[in-house]
Amino acid sequence: MKGIAKWLHERNLFPYALLVPVLIFFIVWNILPLLWMVGLSFYKYDITTGEPLKFLGMDNYQAIFRDHGIWQALSKTFLFVILAVGLETILGMALGFLFWGSSKMPGRRLALTLLFSPMILTPVAAGTFFRLIYDPVFGIANYYLEAWFGLKINFLGDVKWAYPAVLMVDIWMWTPFMILMTLAALGSVPKAELEAAQVDRLPWIRRLWHIVLPHGKFILMLGILLRTIDAFKTMDLIYTMTSGGPGNATELIAISLFRKAFEAFTMGNASALAIISLLIAIAFTSIYLYILNYKERRA
Amino acid sequence: MAKSVRQSLYYVLLWLISIAFFLPVLWIFLAAFKTKEQILAIPPKWIFTPTFENISNMFSGMNFEKYAVNSVIISLSAVVIAIIVSFFASYSFSRYKPKGTDFLMFLLLSMRMVPGAAVVVPIYLMYTALGWKDTYYGIILLYAMFSIPFSVWILKGFIDGVSLRYDETALVNGGSRMHVMFRVILPQVKPGLVAAFIFNIIFVWNEFLFNFIIGGKKVTTIPVALATGLYKTHGVDWTFIASLSLVYMLPLILMIYFFQRYLLVGMTFGTVRGEV
Repeated sequence: MKGIAKWLHERNLFPYALLVPVLIFFIVWNILPLLWMVGLSFYKYDITTGEPLKFLGMDNYQAIFRDHGIWQALSKTFLFVILAVGLETILGMALGFLFWGSSKMPGRRLALTLLFSPMILTPVAAGTFFRLIYDPVFGIANYYLEAWFGLKINFLGDVKWAYPAVLMVDIWMWTPFMILMTLAALGSVPKAELEAAQVDRLPWIRRLWHIVLPHGKFILMLGILLRTIDAFKTMDLIYTMTSGGPGNATELIAISLFRKAFEAFTMGNASALAIISLLIAIAFTSIYLYILNYKERRA
Repeated sequence: MAKSVRQSLYYVLLWLISIAFFLPVLWIFLAAFKTKEQILAIPPKWIFTPTFENISNMFSGMNFEKYAVNSVIISLSAVVIAIIVSFFASYSFSRYKPKGTDFLMFLLLSMRMVPGAAVVVPIYLMYTALGWKDTYYGIILLYAMFSIPFSVWILKGFIDGVSLRYDETALVNGGSRMHVMFRVILPQVKPGLVAAFIFNIIFVWNEFLFNFIIGGKKVTTIPVALATGLYKTHGVDWTFIASLSLVYMLPLILMIYFFQRYLLVGMTFGTVRGEV
């Protein structure tokens, strides 16, 4: 082992040798499947029929652009991402600020463990159990709604209610994450500057704007970026709750993709859709990174 | 005096918020100790005599042990492999800064941007073609791949924080590069290793889609067992879901209780080192 390292070192290859394992992972599990997928997206390929591959050119893409259901799923997904990430960020930041001064709170560690518990819950378990919580007959949500407000709502069975109902579950699961990120952002603000602001009796809104945000914005943006990516990918939580229904009220793009691939087994079509969603995800991320860099360049 | 009252009220408020977020989880946990009738009872039962039958049934029935062992083996080996590989790469990125470091770091992050449902199609086709479906190495290496990007980001942040002088001193004293990496740097980035471990294990432990599609009888983990074992002859088997969720979640809850500090470090890629 030592001999090899020395040999590599003499030839200035050591730094590259250290990267080899990661690059192998990257090539085998990312580049190869990606190329495979790009290729397939030009073919008709149904696993179940056993027909040979048939070259279609751009037909799969054209079919997707003409597919009304896909456009609906996309707009539902965008709305979901905007609402979920937006509300989680607002709520998470507000609660994060609230928790800021709590370092001497009794039992703080336990309280935070309880607070963070939703985000480590297996999405499959959460989704399934919320079916019971939302159940119109046996569900606890409806019991208290009726007892306190005289309302009865078939959350997951009603086309009007299913979408807000799954959105609520996502917000419940991931607001703690934004609280965590807000706490992290606040922790990165230098104490000296905060004390100076205290001495100068700066109003809290200006403290926030001039001291907290400039230091904490990187971490906050990172949190929002990670949430956006994950919200766009949301799949097992909703699939276990509603399978995209009733009708297609909660069918987000990841669920359409899953259905095309593993319920209809039209792999060529699914690949084309996968590539489109991939491009959208990359666009999201690039915009975020651009905004971050732009602000940094100006500062 | 007024100040301490206000302080107490403030703490009570924070506790109430924490408990509010925990309530749905608590509802699942309580169900694990109820009979089927009690779970479906209206009005909801908050106080009841607990039964341990569900949990003992779960341990004796189905292949609980097999699935649990799978979950543990697959999660642990995937994350450990990812961290070892990432440690090499991040040492190289941090100390040698080879050409294209920034670009490669971005590429790594982009590995995680891809929607799971999009990757699973080509991975499924590739695994079917290569005969890697339902194999331990197939699923472990796939999960390792998912765990690499954040591990590299976290560990690079930490190695950057260790002064170059340590490397130089050790090299001058005749230590080899391997010695520097494992005996000098590694002990100093332990918090980074723990953070990377926690961050990734949460994802791998709960992952469902990939195991469901490219796994099979041999490598089934608990989330898949949970999703496929939902139905009994008379509708959904709630006692089973509740007790399985409880047992499966406990290790993660204990982990974020005892390693809370590292959770924060991991979530911010090592940019924040202090307490929450």
